[in-house]
Amino acid sequence: MVIHVRKKVSVISFNIVVGVLLLTGIGLASLYSISLHQETEFLKNSFIKQLIYLIPAVGGLLIAFFIPRHFIHKYIYIFYIAILGGIILPYFSNSVAGTHRWIDFGSISLQPAEYAKWILVITLARYLSDHTPEMQRFSSIIIPMIITLIPTVIILKQPDLGTAVIMITPVLPMLYWVGVRPYHIFLMVAPLLSLLTAFHMISFTIWGIGMAVIIYFAHPKLLTGIGTYFGNIFLGLLAPVIWNTLKGYQQKRILTLFDPNLDPLGAAYQIIQSKTAIGSGGFWGKGWGQGTQTHLKFLPVQESDFILSVIGEELGFLIIAVIITIFTLIVVKIVKLAYNSKDRFSSLVLIGIGTIFLSHIFINSAMTIGLIPVKGLPLPFLSYGGSFLVSCYIMIGLVLNLGANPPE
Amino acid sequence: MLKAENIVPKRRFYVVNGVILILMLILIIRFFHLQIYRYEKFRQKADVNRIRAVTVNAPRGLIFDRYGELLVDNYPTYVLSAIPGEISNEKEQLKKISDLTGIDTVILVNNYEKYKRGKFAPARLVKDLSFEQISLIEEHKLDLSGIQYNQFPERFFPSGIHGSHFLGYLREVDRRVRGQMVKKEYYELGDLIGDQGLEKYYESWLRGIKGVTYYEVDVFGRVLGKVKGEQDVPPIPGQDLTVTIDASLQRLLETEMHGFTGVALVSNPASGDILAYVSSPDYPPDLFTGSTPDKVWNEVLADTNRPLLDRVTYGLYPPGSTFKMITAIALLENKLIDPNQIFECTGIYIIGDESFGCWKEEGHGKVNLSQAVIQSCNVYFYQAVQLLNLDQWVETCLKFGFGQETGIDLPSERKGLIPNAAYMNFKYGRWHWSEKGTLINLAIGQGDILATPLQMLMYINILATRGRAGKPHLLAGKDLEMVKAPNFSADTWRKIDAYLTSVIYDLKGTGRAADPQIPGVTVAGKTGTAENPHGEPHAWFIGYGKQRDQFVSVVILIENGGHGGETAAPIARKAFTHIFTPKKPLVMIDR
Repeated sequence: MVIHVRKKVSVISFNIVVGVLLLTGIGLASLYSISLHQETEFLKNSFIKQLIYLIPAVGGLLIAFFIPRHFIHKYIYIFYIAILGGIILPYFSNSVAGTHRWIDFGSISLQPAEYAKWILVITLARYLSDHTPEMQRFSSIIIPMIITLIPTVIILKQPDLGTAVIMITPVLPMLYWVGVRPYHIFLMVAPLLSLLTAFHMISFTIWGIGMAVIIYFAHPKLLTGIGTYFGNIFLGLLAPVIWNTLKGYQQKRILTLFDPNLDPLGAAYQIIQSKTAIGSGGFWGKGWGQGTQTHLKFLPVQESDFILSVIGEELGFLIIAVIITIFTLIVVKIVKLAYNSKDRFSSLVLIGIGTIFLSHIFINSAMTIGLIPVKGLPLPFLSYGGSFLVSCYIMIGLVLNLGANPPE
Repeated sequence: MLKAENIVPKRRFYVVNGVILILMLILIIRFFHLQIYRYEKFRQKADVNRIRAVTVNAPRGLIFDRYGELLVDNYPTYVLSAIPGEISNEKEQLKKISDLTGIDTVILVNNYEKYKRGKFAPARLVKDLSFEQISLIEEHKLDLSGIQYNQFPERFFPSGIHGSHFLGYLREVDRRVRGQMVKKEYYELGDLIGDQGLEKYYESWLRGIKGVTYYEVDVFGRVLGKVKGEQDVPPIPGQDLTVTIDASLQRLLETEMHGFTGVALVSNPASGDILAYVSSPDYPPDLFTGSTPDKVWNEVLADTNRPLLDRVTYGLYPPGSTFKMITAIALLENKLIDPNQIFECTGIYIIGDESFGCWKEEGHGKVNLSQAVIQSCNVYFYQAVQLLNLDQWVETCLKFGFGQETGIDLPSERKGLIPNAAYMNFKYGRWHWSEKGTLINLAIGQGDILATPLQMLMYINILATRGRAGKPHLLAGKDLEMVKAPNFSADTWRKIDAYLTSVIYDLKGTGRAADPQIPGVTVAGKTGTAENPHGEPHAWFIGYGKQRDQFVSVVILIENGGHGGETAAPIARKAFTHIFTPKKPLVMIDR
C-alpha cells in the first residue's frame, strides 16, 4: 500500500501542485483583505469560510488522485446518468433568487452543475476513446454532441448561462484532439456564427466571405459545399425573422447579455467600477488592504466574480502578470501531459479539463476588464465559493492521477 | 479499451498550445493597457472621484383632448434624496436638513427608512420642495455629503376641466405596490404609476423608460461633471395620448352638473367616441398629487355624495321608463303586438290583489304603442308586457349589452344586473315570485334591474345607429370597433326612431325640454323617472341629435332628480345646443 502510494506520488507533476498552491494563497490573501473591511460575524467571513472549504477541497483532490483510472473509465456512464439527475433535482425545490442551481442539505447547499462539468468531460473521453476510428465521419459527431447538449440545456434553463458555456466548450478541442477534421468542427460552429453575425451587416459580410474561403479550401463535394454555404446564409437571413417572433422582454433579456449598457444600473456599472479599480492599481498596486474602490464596495460580487479587480487594484499589474503566467503554465502543462499520455482516454480527459480551466480563466478575466459582457463565472482557485473550489481541486486531482503515466 | 493507444499529431499539439498562448496574451495586453498605459487616468478617477449612476426619469406622456387642447401636463418639483453609503452621519444630517427646510425630522427619517433600498441607491427624503428650500440645501452642500436633489415631474391640469374619473390619477410605488408588480424593472420606489382611469389603463404607453447618467462625484458628493467615455443612456419619454373628449363640452357639462349628483355622457354613436364624461360630484384632478392641502382632502373624504366614485362605470341604477323601448322592441320583434292596438289607461292597473299606477294619476285614456312611448304611459306597458315571457324580454336586454361589460378602455366597470328566471329563483325562492308581476316591473325599467350609465349610453347608441354603433372608448384614433349588433328588422328600427323623435316634438311628448330649437337639428330621446329606495326618483334622459353629418348621443342622469323630463332633459338641451351651435368642426385634428 505504502509502496503503491509512493510510486503514484513519485510520478506526479509538481509544477501543477506548486502553481495551484500559489494561486490559492493569493486568493486567500485577497479574501482576507476584503474581509478586513467587512463587518460580519467570524464564521460568516468569506476568508474563514474559504479556509474551511479547503478541507473538503483537498479531500476531493486526494480521492480523485487515488481512485484507479480503470474504475473511472468503467463506471463513468453511471456517474453521467447520476449527475443528470443531480442537475434536474433543483427544479423540484424552491428557487433561490429566481434560479434553480442549488440542492439544499440543511445548512449546506451544493451546486451539482460544478461537478457536471468534469463528469461530462470524462464521459466524452470514454465515448471518444472507444469510437476513435469512426470520428472521421461527420455523422459520428452527433452522439458526442447529444451527450454534451443534454446537461448543457438543463443548466441553461436553470438559468446559468456562464456554466452552460463552460459545459459546451470542451467538446470542440476534444473532438479536435481525437482527430476529427477541423472542417467538420467548423461545420458545427458555422450555424451559430451565421445566426450571431446576421445582426451586423459588416460582420455578416466578412463571415460570408470567410466561410466561402474555408469551404473552398476544404474541398468538399461540390453540391455539399454549395449546400453548406447557402444553408448558412439562409439561416443568417432567417435570424431577424426568428428574432421578431420573440416577445419584447425576451429580446431584452438576450440583448442585455451582449450589451450591458441596456442594464445601466447593473452590469454596465459593475464593468465601469471594475475597470476603474484595475486601472488605478497601476504596476505595483495600491498595497494589500489599501484598495479604495474595493473597500468602498462599488463592486458587488468582489469576493467571487470580481476577485481579479481587487487583486488588480491592490497588488497591481505585477501580480496579475504572475497569476496569468501561472495559469498559462498550468494549462500548457496539462496539454503536455495529454500529449504524452499513453492511453487515449486519459489524454482526452486532460484536454477536456484543460479547456474547462482555460475558459474559466479567460471568460472571468475578460469580463473584469470589460472585454466581454458580464457572465458571472468565478476564477479557479482565487474566487470565493465552496462548490467551485472543491470542483477545481477534484479536477486537479484527476489531472495528477491521469497525467502520470503508470509505471510499466 | 483503456489500453487504446494515444497518438496525437504534433501539429495538433502545437495548435492547441498556440490557442492557449493567444488567449492569455490578449488578457495580458488588456491588463497592460488598463494598468500601465491608462494608469494615470484611472488613478485620478479612483483617487478623486467616484462615479455615480443617476436615473433620469422619463417624462410621462401628456394627455390631449380631441382638438389638441392639453388636459394633463407635467411640471417639475424638487425631490431631495440621500445615498446611504455616502452619508456620513445620518442623524446629524437629517437634523440639518430639517433646520434648513423647516420639514419635520420625523418625516425625513420615516421617508429615509421607507425608501432605502441599497447602499448606493438614493433614498427619497422629501418631495415637492420649493426652489428656495433647494437653494438653502445647495449652500450647505459641504456639510451634507451624500445628499442630492433631482427634478421630479408631477401631473398638472392646465385645461380647467376636472375629468378626474376618466383621467384617473397616479400613486406612488411603495414596497407593497412594487411587490405585486410583474414588470418590476420599470419602477423604483417613489416612482409614480397610474392607479385609476386612463392613467392606469394606458400606463405602459404613458410611462416611458428611464435613462441613466453617469456623474463623477468628489468625496464631498459634489458633482464634477459627466464621466468621459461612458455612454449615458437617455430616457425614452412616454407616449402622449389624445382622447376623444371635447374639453369645451366637458367643461360646460361639468358646470351644468355642479350641485347635482349624477352623470352626463356625450358620444358619437357611430364611432363610439366619448365626447364628455362627467360623474358628479367629482374631485379636483390634482387631489392625488403632493400639492393638495389637507383641508381639500378631508372635504372630499367627508362628502357623503362620494365624489371618488365614478358613477359612469360604477354607479348602478334602475333605468326607469327609458327601458320601455326594450319592451316595445321585444313585442315588435316577436310579432306579439299590432302597434295600433289600443290599451286603455285609467291611471291604475290592477292584477290579482296588487295595483300598479301610471305616473299620470288621471290616466292617459286610449293609447297605442306610439303614444305609449311618447307620453311614457306605464299602464299600456303593464298590459302589453303580458304578451311576452321573461326569457324573450331578457334576451332583448342582453342584445343591447346589458348585464355585460361594455369593454371601454378604462381599468374596470360593473356589469349591472338583468334578472332572469334563474336569478329570481335564487333571490326569492322558486314559489315566491311570479313571472307576470316581475315583467310588469321590468317593462317600465323597475324591479331588480340595474344598469350603469355607460351601458345606457351604449343602449342609446345602438338605437341611434339602428344597430351599427361603435364601441364606446376614450382613446382617439383607435381602430373602429363595432358593438355586437342586434339584428332587428328595419321596420322595428324605423318605428323606434319615429317614437323617440316624437318624444321630443309631439305636443304631449315628455322630452320637449331637450329640444335645442336649432334649425336643421333633429333630436330624439326618451325620459325616465326611476323609482328607487333612496328617496326621490332618479331622473334620466337618453337621446341623440343629428345635423347633417354631425351625430351625437347624450345620457343624463340626476340622482333623486325627480321627473326626467324636468331635470335631466334641460341639461341634455344645453349639451345639444353647445354641440350644434357652429364654432369648430366636429372632426378630429390630425396630431
